[in-house]
Amino acid sequence: MNNPVIDNVRRSLGHTAQTPLVARPAIYKPRLPEAVDSEIECFLGEIKKLSGVGQRLASSEVDSALQTLLAEQNIRKATVWETPHLRQLGITEILNSCGVELVSPNAGKHEMALCDLGVTEADYLLPETGTLVLRSSAERPRAVSLLPRIHLAIVRPEMLRADMHQVFAEAKDHHYLVFITGPSRTADIELTVTLGVHGPRNLFVWMV
Amino acid sequence: MSHDIHPYIGFEEYSEHVPQSIPLAVQQATTRFVGGRAARVAELPQWEQLRQIGSDIRQHTLENMDVHLTRLEEKVEQAGGHVHWAKTAEEACRIVLQIAKDHNVRTAVKSKSMATEEIELNGALEAAGIRAIETDLGEYIIQLAGTGPSHIIVPAVHLTKEEIAALFSQHLGIDAPADPIELARIARETLRAEFLNAEMGISGGNFLIAETGTLVIVTNEGNGRMCSTMPDLHVAVVGIDKVIPDWESLTVFLKLLARSATGQKLSTYTQFITGPRRAEGEFGPKEFHLVLLDNGRSNILRDPVGRDVLKCIRCGACANVCPVYKNVGGFAYGSFISGPIGAILSPQMLGTPTARELPYASTLCGACADVCPVKIPIPTILRHLRRRVAQGDEFAASTMPIPIRVTAMFASIALAWNWVYRLGARLLPIINPFFRKNDWLSGLPYPLNRWTKVRPLPPFTATFRKWWNVRSAKWKDSTR
Repeated sequence: MNNPVIDNVRRSLGHTAQTPLVARPAIYKPRLPEAVDSEIECFLGEIKKLSGVGQRLASSEVDSALQTLLAEQNIRKATVWETPHLRQLGITEILNSCGVELVSPNAGKHEMALCDLGVTEADYLLPETGTLVLRSSAERPRAVSLLPRIHLAIVRPEMLRADMHQVFAEAKDHHYLVFITGPSRTADIELTVTLGVHGPRNLFVWMV
Repeated sequence: MSHDIHPYIGFEEYSEHVPQSIPLAVQQATTRFVGGRAARVAELPQWEQLRQIGSDIRQHTLENMDVHLTRLEEKVEQAGGHVHWAKTAEEACRIVLQIAKDHNVRTAVKSKSMATEEIELNGALEAAGIRAIETDLGEYIIQLAGTGPSHIIVPAVHLTKEEIAALFSQHLGIDAPADPIELARIARETLRAEFLNAEMGISGGNFLIAETGTLVIVTNEGNGRMCSTMPDLHVAVVGIDKVIPDWESLTVFLKLLARSATGQKLSTYTQFITGPRRAEGEFGPKEFHLVLLDNGRSNILRDPVGRDVLKCIRCGACANVCPVYKNVGGFAYGSFISGPIGAILSPQMLGTPTARELPYASTLCGACADVCPVKIPIPTILRHLRRRVAQGDEFAASTMPIPIRVTAMFASIALAWNWVYRLGARLLPIINPFFRKNDWLSGLPYPLNRWTKVRPLPPFTATFRKWWNVRSAKWKDSTR
C-alpha cells in the first residue's frame, strides 16, 4: 500500500523501497551479576533510596509481617494476584483470617480502586535501580499494582537479573511489561516531592 | 500546526517583558535538575561511552527511518493494534477525532505528550464536544490556568502553591489549602474519577521499538499507566522520529533518559505496550491505536545538518543548562518545545519566516551540546539555521530585512575581490566631510542610519593596509 509519509522519508533520504537495512552500531557489554547476597542488598538499598520499604524475610515470617502491615496501614480491603507462589505463601488465607475483605483481581476497575492494598509478585528484578518488572496476564492483572494506595510485591532472589539486557532478551515478546521503580511521585508543585499522586503512595518489597 | 497558521514567534519582544517570577522559578527547577544529573553521571564511569552509542544509534535510525517505520507498522498490526499515518497536524487531529466518534467518546484522559501539544489536539477535541483532561499534575494545573508550559519536565513551575490553590478552589468549587501535598491529594481524587470513567485514553510515547511494534511510555506519577490501562480505548500519538531499531538499543536510551532529565536512574514507571490486552481480566484497552505523526519531520530529514535535531529524546537537559532559557523561561519560545532544542526544531518545523528569531536565542556557549545525551551538535545547527535565515538555502528562503541583506551582499562582494576592497577603501573617505562631527561620523542616510542612530561611527580612513605593511615589514626585520 502506498504511504505518503514513508514515501517522503524515502525521498528525503534518497532511498527506494528496496534499500536494505544497514546493521545498527554495536552496543556496550551489559553489567555482570555479583554474588546473590550483594545483589539483594543493592536491590533493597535502592528501594529504600526511592522512599519504598524493602526487607528480607523467611517464608515463615511472611505471616507476622503481613499482620503488622495490615495493622499499621489500616488495611480493610485488598486484592491479590492469583499466582502459584502467592498461593503457596497463603496470602489470601492470612488476609481472610485478619478480617480483610478480598476483591477479585479481575473485578471491575471501580471496585479495584477502593482497595487499600494490592499484592503482586514480580517477574524480574533489577538491582542497580531497585526496579520491579511485571508482565501482565489474566492471573496477573495490571491494576493490582496501580489502583490500590499500597503496593506490596513479594519477590524471590531467582528473579534478579544483572541488567535490562537479560530482562529484555527474556521478555520482549510478551505483550505488556511495566518497570516499577519506587512509589508514584511528582514534584510539579513548587518542586516539592509528593508520593502517591496517581499510583500507589507506598511500596513494600519483601524478598522471601 | 501548519506553516501558514502558526503565529509569528516574537522571541525578542517577549524576552523584553519576562515577568520576574519566571526566571526565579525556572532557575530553581533547572538548578535541581542540573545537580541531579551531575550526580547520576558521576556514578556511571561509562557515561561518555553511553552517549556516543546513543548518538550513533539515533544517527543510524534517522538514516534508515523508512525501513524501521515499515517494520514497526507491520509488527504493531501483527500484535492486533491499528496504525494510522498523519502527514500533518490537522490530519492527526482528524484521525483521533474519527476514532473518538466511532466509539462515542465523551471524555478523554490524557497523559503528558509533546506530540499532542504540537498538533493542538485539546482544542480540536473540545471543538468536537469531547472533554480532554490533562492528568499529569503539572499539565492539569496549566490546563486549569489556561497557559502553556514553562518547563518541559515541570510545566507549572512558574505558579506558586497559593496560585494553584486559588485555581483549584475556583475550578473545583472547594476550599483548597496552599499545601503541595494536600493539592496533590485533591488532584489524585479528582482525576481518579476521570480515569475510571473516561472512554478513551490518549498518550504520547517516548520510544517505538520497530523489532516488536512496542510503544514505550515513561512517567513518574502513574498517569501514563492510568491512561493506557483504565479506558477500553488507547490512542497514542507519536512522532515518526521516536522509532528505534530494537530492545537492545532501548537499554541505552533508558539509561540516558531519566539521568539526563530529572537525575533519576530510571523514572518510576516505564511501560512496554505491544498491542491491546489479550485477556479481559488483565486490564488494559480492548483497542490500541497508534497515530504516527510526520508534520514536517520527513522534510527535515532532507537537510543533512539540520536533521540531527530529530535525534532528540526529549530529556530537557539542554534547557536546564542554557543561560538564555534560564532567564526567559519556556513561554518565550512560542511553541510546544522550548530551550535550545526548541530553537533548532521550531524553525525547521514551522519554517524560518515564523521562527527566524529563535536561532539567535542563544549565546552559542555550547553547554547544551555538552550535556545532550545523544550528542546533538546544537550550536552547529544554530549557526546553520542563522545562515539559512540570513542567506536562504535550498531548504528555505532568506527572511532577513532587505537593507541588511543588501548591505551583506555588498560586503560579500567587497571582501571577495581584493581590488574592489581597495577601491572602496580609497573612495569611502570622500563622504567623511559631509557627515563628520568632531572625530565621528553621525547621521548617515538610510540604511546606514541603523548604525548611526544608536552609536557614532569613526571616519573612514584608508590606512589599514599602510599600517599593516609597515607592521609586517618590522616583524619580518625582527625575525630575520
